[in-house]
Amino acid sequence: MDKFRSTAVSGESLDEIIEKHQGKPGVLLTTLEEVQEAHPLKFLPGETLTEVSKKLKIPYTQVYSVATFYSFFNLQPQGKHSIVVCRGTACHTKGSKALLGDVGQILGCRYGDVDDDSSFTTPDNEFTIKTVACFGQCAQSPVVAVDGKIYSYVNSQKLIKILKKIK
Amino acid sequence: MNSLFKLPLLFPDFTCLDFTCLDFRREARGERRKVRGDLGVFNITIMKITINNQPFEVAEGLTIMQACQSAGINVPSLCYMKDVSSNASCGVCVVEVKGARSLLRSCITKVTDGMEITTNSQRILEARKVNVELLLANHPQDCLICDRNQNCELQEITYKLGITDKRFVRTRKGHLPIDDSSLSLVRDPEKCILCGRCVAVCSQVQTVKAIDFSGRGLKTKISTYLDRGLGVVACTNCGQCALVCPTGAITEKSSVNEVWEAIHNPEKVVLVQTAPAIRVGIGEAMGMPYGSLVTGKMVAGLRRLGFSKVFDTNFTADLTIIEEGNELINRIRNGGTLPMITSCSPGWIKFIEHFFPASLAHLSSCKSPQQMFGAIAKTYYAEKTGIDPRNIVVVSVMPCTAKKYEAKRPEMDGAFNYWKEKLNLAENERFYDVDAVLTTRELARMFKETGVDFTHLREEQFDNPLGTSTGAAVIFGATGGVMEAALRTAYEAFTGKTLKDINFTAVRGMTGIREAEIDLNGTKIKVAVAHTLKNARILLEEIESGKSPYTFIEVMTCPGGCLGGGGQPIPTNYEIRKKRAESIYFEDAHKSIRKSHENPEIITLYTDFLKEPLGEKSHRLLHTHYVEREPGI
Repeated sequence: MDKFRSTAVSGESLDEIIEKHQGKPGVLLTTLEEVQEAHPLKFLPGETLTEVSKKLKIPYTQVYSVATFYSFFNLQPQGKHSIVVCRGTACHTKGSKALLGDVGQILGCRYGDVDDDSSFTTPDNEFTIKTVACFGQCAQSPVVAVDGKIYSYVNSQKLIKILKKIK
Repeated sequence: MNSLFKLPLLFPDFTCLDFTCLDFRREARGERRKVRGDLGVFNITIMKITINNQPFEVAEGLTIMQACQSAGINVPSLCYMKDVSSNASCGVCVVEVKGARSLLRSCITKVTDGMEITTNSQRILEARKVNVELLLANHPQDCLICDRNQNCELQEITYKLGITDKRFVRTRKGHLPIDDSSLSLVRDPEKCILCGRCVAVCSQVQTVKAIDFSGRGLKTKISTYLDRGLGVVACTNCGQCALVCPTGAITEKSSVNEVWEAIHNPEKVVLVQTAPAIRVGIGEAMGMPYGSLVTGKMVAGLRRLGFSKVFDTNFTADLTIIEEGNELINRIRNGGTLPMITSCSPGWIKFIEHFFPASLAHLSSCKSPQQMFGAIAKTYYAEKTGIDPRNIVVVSVMPCTAKKYEAKRPEMDGAFNYWKEKLNLAENERFYDVDAVLTTRELARMFKETGVDFTHLREEQFDNPLGTSTGAAVIFGATGGVMEAALRTAYEAFTGKTLKDINFTAVRGMTGIREAEIDLNGTKIKVAVAHTLKNARILLEEIESGKSPYTFIEVMTCPGGCLGGGGQPIPTNYEIRKKRAESIYFEDAHKSIRKSHENPEIITLYTDFLKEPLGEKSHRLLHTHYVEREPGI
């Protein structure tokens, strides 16, 4: 973990971010967002939360409460590539559950590691698998988003191809 | 027509949360009227409403729940708690209001003129049932072995609402781990129903914010920062969270087994000391009315349990006054750090160590009466009776969960250091001054376990010499008591005159911060008393900004002082606290000796052992130091 810590935003660079948002409504949210984005592994390490809390003088528990409430914030390191499988009703009827299982099998996680609230990151920090309730692309279900790009009518073969391309 | 001129705020300075008004009709009409209430004459608006078709008049500003309660109609609720929280999260207190589309939560909805309220329709009863059943879906079914068995609001409401079936399946995956990292408290998040009372009391009454909600949806839980555990984060161990918890999700860390083991060990001499607030609390846990004064029965009960000697923390409360009073006079005469602040309340000590480390010099260096007792019992008493201090087990019964932590502070081994050279003790024989701390609730469990029945118990007296005390010591149990006791002694020591009226009523009561001016033979000093850490914070901020006008300040962590402590019987609320305080002052008024420095056993203790206040032995055994801790925010 030490190598991640050294890359986290802290000290003067954190001061700079805070200064940008200080005094504006929602200062905690906007600060945490920018701090997370600045981290190469797109997450908020505990030390960063502590520092943000001290600098903004917002109680630790409140910062933790906010960071754990929003699905946008990650408290664990994220993979270089993100794979988001839609688990909405339309995608479900078109087999998104099996698709999620396939992604898991390819990348080495068990079924149940990934659900509405939790994600899975491969040990080499290459991939993070998540689910989403709906992308609003039901007409082209099932859909999967890889690194922000939405792929439609995905099946297992197509998925393997996509993953090979980015690997 | 029934008239209900109840005014909502009984304790204006205490945490009465601002209720979010969810009036479905925005404009409240009503009739202005002059009303004579307990607190004077008020011009208030009267609302005409009906509850279950009965007409009532109520003052503007009341919630539906308050109006119903004043009308003698009980509306059940789980998350609402007067003076503590109103999260409107449980949905049990719902009522029907004519014209409103959905059921309304009576705890946060204010009455409006002409409101027609129903509290008992089939729709309401069904909704309440379903809301509680949903809570039960994820709640463990181990009531029989739960600490709160038979004293659980969830259990009670399940019974009262007639729920006989478990219809809904568990939705939470896996099991949330128990947090037993604290020396004082244990949290079992599985039993938590997310009512938010603990969060409210911790953040609003104590301003500590050691716990808060974390996560979202199904994964919502009450967490410490980064789930590090109560024993790691800036928690003061005050236990107010355990006091307000409707279930067994937060309880004290029990020492009952440890105490039984010591009692049943023939080699040990087990001494018990009882804090001043136990005698006004333990009766309640034994089925007696709120605030029952049961000093004699408590002593008799403790003897039945098998303690070798039944002593009184009040003895060392008197000793605290001698030491602290002299320390105060010393600071006034020699230009020491002022204001001096009392150091009896261990939650407060941890609070200042975490949140105001720069002000530590203001704390009196006196140990709390519990710790002074341990140190004196294992030195003075051991010497006097010839008992090997290694065989003495000191058990305290405290209204407090923070005392469990205090007893295990590494510096609380004065007696060991005293004997170290004399008995040639090895490091691995190190013992604490106080071995085990029981809360009032734990003592009640031990009484029940052994069949001690308070109704048939004859009153008995404390053992001597560590059981002799004065009225000044008794009032340590109420907020303002330490101040009053200290003033009784400090006045006479400072002026050399006899005090005419020993009742300092200005420092009594339940107002959050109280102050008084005392004339010490021409030297006028201002003193202040604060209870709850929220109020302590106000006084500390005043000190740190250099504006504090006070010479001496008393701080008690818990609302009402020790009698409202986190280890006291559940329920504890402001009405009950007031009753306990009445009993405390009643006992003081009826004591033959009411000033600490007139306690004959304390005088003997100084002649035979300590020699003089603030002397060399006092410093080794009765005084302590404080540490700066991981800062809290």
